[in-house]
Amino acid sequence: MLTGLDPAKAGDDAPVWERVLRAVKTGQMPPPGMPRPNAAAIDTFTKNLAATLDRAALAKPNPGAPMPHRLNRAEYSNAIRDLLALDTQPGLQLPVDESGFGFDNMADLLSMSPSLLERYLSVARTVTRQAIGDMSMLSEVATYGSTVRSQRKAPSTEEVPVGAANGMAFQHYFPLDAEYEIRVDLAGSTGEGAPPTPFRLKLPVKAGLHHIAVTFLRESPKPEVSLRTFGRTFGAPPGMPAEKPGEMDLRIDGASVKRWHAPQRGVAPDVALAKIEGPFNATGPGSTPSRARIFTCKSQDDACATTIVTNLARRAFRRPVMANDIRPLFNFYKAATNFEAGIANALQALLVSPDFLFRIERDPKGVAPSTNYKLNDYELASRLSFFIWSSIPDDELLALAAQGKLRDSAVLKAQLRRMIDDPRSDALIQNFGGQWLFLRTLANTKPDSDIFATFDENLRAGFQKETELFLANIFRNQRSVRELLDASYTYLNQQLAEHYGVRGVYGPHFRRVELPDRNRGGLLGQGSILTVTSYPNRTSVVQRGKWILENLLGTPPPPPPADVPELQAKNKEGRKLSLREAMELHRTNAVCASCHGRMDPIGFALENFDGVGAWRAEDSGVAVDAKGKLPNGAAFDGPSGLKSLLLEKHRDEFIHTVVEKLMTYALGRGLEARDKPTVRMIARKAAAEDYRMSAFLDAIVESPQFQMRRSSGK
Amino acid sequence: MIVSKKALSRRAILRGTGAAIALPTLDAMLPALSAAPAQPVRLAFVYHPVGMILDRWTPKEKGANFAITPSMKALEPFRESMTVLTGLAQVQGRALGDGPGDHAREGATWLTGVHPRRSETNVGCGISADQVAAAELGKHTQLSSLELSLEAPGLAGACDQNYSCAYTNTVSWKTPSVALPMESDPRIVFERIFGEGGVDPAARRARLSQQRSILDYVAGSIDRLQTELGSRDRNKLSEYLDAIRDLERRIQKAEQQNASMKLPSDLKRPDGTPETFEEHAKLMIDLQVLAFQTDMTRVVTFMLGRAGSNRPYRSIGISDGHHSLTHHMNDPEKIEKVAKIDEHLVKIFAGYVAKMLATPDGAGGNLLDHLAICYGSSLGDANIHTHHDLPIALVAGQRLFKGNRHLVYQSETPLNNLFLNMFDAAGVPCKGFGDSTGRLAHV
Repeated sequence: MLTGLDPAKAGDDAPVWERVLRAVKTGQMPPPGMPRPNAAAIDTFTKNLAATLDRAALAKPNPGAPMPHRLNRAEYSNAIRDLLALDTQPGLQLPVDESGFGFDNMADLLSMSPSLLERYLSVARTVTRQAIGDMSMLSEVATYGSTVRSQRKAPSTEEVPVGAANGMAFQHYFPLDAEYEIRVDLAGSTGEGAPPTPFRLKLPVKAGLHHIAVTFLRESPKPEVSLRTFGRTFGAPPGMPAEKPGEMDLRIDGASVKRWHAPQRGVAPDVALAKIEGPFNATGPGSTPSRARIFTCKSQDDACATTIVTNLARRAFRRPVMANDIRPLFNFYKAATNFEAGIANALQALLVSPDFLFRIERDPKGVAPSTNYKLNDYELASRLSFFIWSSIPDDELLALAAQGKLRDSAVLKAQLRRMIDDPRSDALIQNFGGQWLFLRTLANTKPDSDIFATFDENLRAGFQKETELFLANIFRNQRSVRELLDASYTYLNQQLAEHYGVRGVYGPHFRRVELPDRNRGGLLGQGSILTVTSYPNRTSVVQRGKWILENLLGTPPPPPPADVPELQAKNKEGRKLSLREAMELHRTNAVCASCHGRMDPIGFALENFDGVGAWRAEDSGVAVDAKGKLPNGAAFDGPSGLKSLLLEKHRDEFIHTVVEKLMTYALGRGLEARDKPTVRMIARKAAAEDYRMSAFLDAIVESPQFQMRRSSGK
Repeated sequence: MIVSKKALSRRAILRGTGAAIALPTLDAMLPALSAAPAQPVRLAFVYHPVGMILDRWTPKEKGANFAITPSMKALEPFRESMTVLTGLAQVQGRALGDGPGDHAREGATWLTGVHPRRSETNVGCGISADQVAAAELGKHTQLSSLELSLEAPGLAGACDQNYSCAYTNTVSWKTPSVALPMESDPRIVFERIFGEGGVDPAARRARLSQQRSILDYVAGSIDRLQTELGSRDRNKLSEYLDAIRDLERRIQKAEQQNASMKLPSDLKRPDGTPETFEEHAKLMIDLQVLAFQTDMTRVVTFMLGRAGSNRPYRSIGISDGHHSLTHHMNDPEKIEKVAKIDEHLVKIFAGYVAKMLATPDGAGGNLLDHLAICYGSSLGDANIHTHHDLPIALVAGQRLFKGNRHLVYQSETPLNNLFLNMFDAAGVPCKGFGDSTGRLAHV
């Protein structure tokens, strides 16, 4: 492959040489068994090659040109929330977006089809009616909860009053000031032929998002102790007044509106489903945050309509609007019979406009084909807000763009800090972190309850919360990304602490906990990661090894060939082999060894964590052997040993992987060989700041890839 | 859902027995059938993920009166309507120099017979059989086709490496670059078929005319944008224009048909996705029956699972993932489990056939009379990822295809050839597509 290529002119064949660089740096080349130059020679070679590639890229920079980029589901939900003060996650009603390179915000894949457009039209209508409060709306039933016990999750402490036991909590959007009927089905009382529930209440509710909780009150005050009942952990502060047993309490926004006496059937009663039907007998659209956001003037005339439509369009289109943007929207307003219906018409149309649904960057007039140019300030504001918030820019960003200040390095840095501190940056943790680390699949994993008896929906939610809080700390508090691998702390509640064997954590709320055992700290000791890399009924050393190679070291092994030889259950002498022995035998096959030689030892280092992340010294009565040795000879033992190895011997790969994942997500496109010099530049900048996450983010938004674009070839 | 015949043969009353959906009287929903001289022929493609244990599926005997095999036991009552086909292949699913990724290629080739482009974002495949059919049969209906799945797309990192998730999530390709999303939420499927909210004819008409004016506005905005963009970006937005044209056609159709069609006021949409696989399947099947019965569409694609699906089937006692089990490495215990999953999925499909058979359609007939369903998988032996000897059954009205046969073709005969036979039966003109080489003989 390299015949005829000259490393001194590596820039001419950057894609090939970038692969050479990676293979040599990671030790995959030369292959095991072939003569290997000494470490100093390898170091000199890779440094020179990287420098040559960097110089070549600098001489001929190409920031790339992302395609028009349809808003994905998360971006749509957030954009509606920020545009209309309506936090109902309407994006969930859209089809799931296709993903590539591990992320679902890839411009190339976000295309349009008839069924998708149909959904956008439908969701635009729903959103408009909710935001404005359409009095002609028909009543509907919304159902929350589950009839399957294992799929129910006890409400978190933020959601229900202190002292509540079984039950559920959720948010519901009430579209009008009207009456609604709330119905509660108890566990065990649903299904075919069941009588209608006696637990129903019709009551007037003000329009808007309300917090509903249906819980059973605790039978008697209890000191803060762990009480495992049906896989749930309860704890109440001392001194709670005794409540009548079996009382079911319905609360709206924390205020009790109804108590029912529920029959005792020998087990603790629980809520299966809560249904809300309405609106009935609507009295008005109410005064909601959405209406306040939309109706910024009161005169109900054409001038006011123009103001409203212009404001909405400016935010929705993320740029100054022109007369020809407003004219067609104003016509929608005019076509209606009354003022509010007219605004609703215009809003509904605006929400399917390509200027809203697509992020489009236009080549400036007069720019020559295939030349690099700086994005305008509004486009930069959008790139920032979609990167950090998965949403549209806010007024502050748009104002800075209008003043032409956003490109100023100090301003940009300050804005980035402000955006990260803003709760909207949860999107970065959920969308970037959730996809990079496979956290999103946690919701779909199905650990076998016969094998992992302590696993329940609360533990699953706890895993999610732990990792989210952990990532939030690293992103928001300028922590070093090394903590992703090795941290002395994590975030636990009592149930999770007991699951991990950490003492002294009481109560259901999450708090930062210093970890006495180095094995547990960092992502590799978190139940979320350990569960998504396991099978439903056992751990998978292969999946764990693969996860680390792919997501932390950026060297994914190829999928297995189809004709894999089977694992031998017995050796030649007929002795039954352990899984580890069988896999070692498997690796004596050279084809298998090329990948498993790297994956398996890494996975075995985590064998002390079972399929849902609990610590174990033995597996099926046999002591866990968590030692591993890589093809290059590096040996390690257990999670702690693996972490040292990753941080000391594979730090560069890890750091480059973090940069590449962040950049792929920030740009919404796959990285190419010509982007790699920028990856190295960002890694160097981060190194100078002790690998603080803020340094990565600063360097990415300062990079030409983020701030510039290449004009179309025509 | 129970279907019973009333005095007028064409009239049906459907009543929901499940909690999730209540189906009202439907006769009023039927479009003016008196105007249609013959019952339209409909096509369905039902996908069984990750191959089958072939020696439990493939009949030993050729021709008529073959012995029903263990995996197809549930289909025995319908053997007179069933043709089992052996020897068919989607060889474009093989690596052909692209390395691993057989599950991405499993999904991508099933209905296309085209080797997919190996890419995470720049997807490229071929138009799929259902969409070839939809382009023709869709001229007569409000929806040109429905794409449904019992498994929501993977949410992170779970797809085949170096291939976009599009290749595993869907088997429907409208064009070589537009993969159609599969819908798994029954509520959204219902809204696709009937529109959301009001069923009052005047309200529906107002709604359609509003949609039309919104589409006009969007098309205008795109025209304006096109003048400001480079050719590559223009192409991307032209997909949006294509989608608009498709919807406009649908609206036009709906306006024509609404004149003669009244939706009953008690039509209720499902609340969401039922909790068990089996209830979910039942509801999705009911919705397909409704879509065919009201002639809202004549083409349906239905995936029982994603390509490479790793779903455990707890209800039949299997907690290992399906895909993991298919790499059984000849472990008899794992083979047994995969065979059990195969039987279970075939049973779900048998429920589908039974529902079609039990639903009146046309004078004295039922939905199956005018329906041809291709059921099967896009892998043969999933343990070693073969793309030939696919397990395939054609279940169809007996006037369309003579059933009760096991036909064995020369190995590696393109599966696409069968789709040509199905097109002929449905009046879809097609000389060939993908890797087809001609119609199958004897079908």
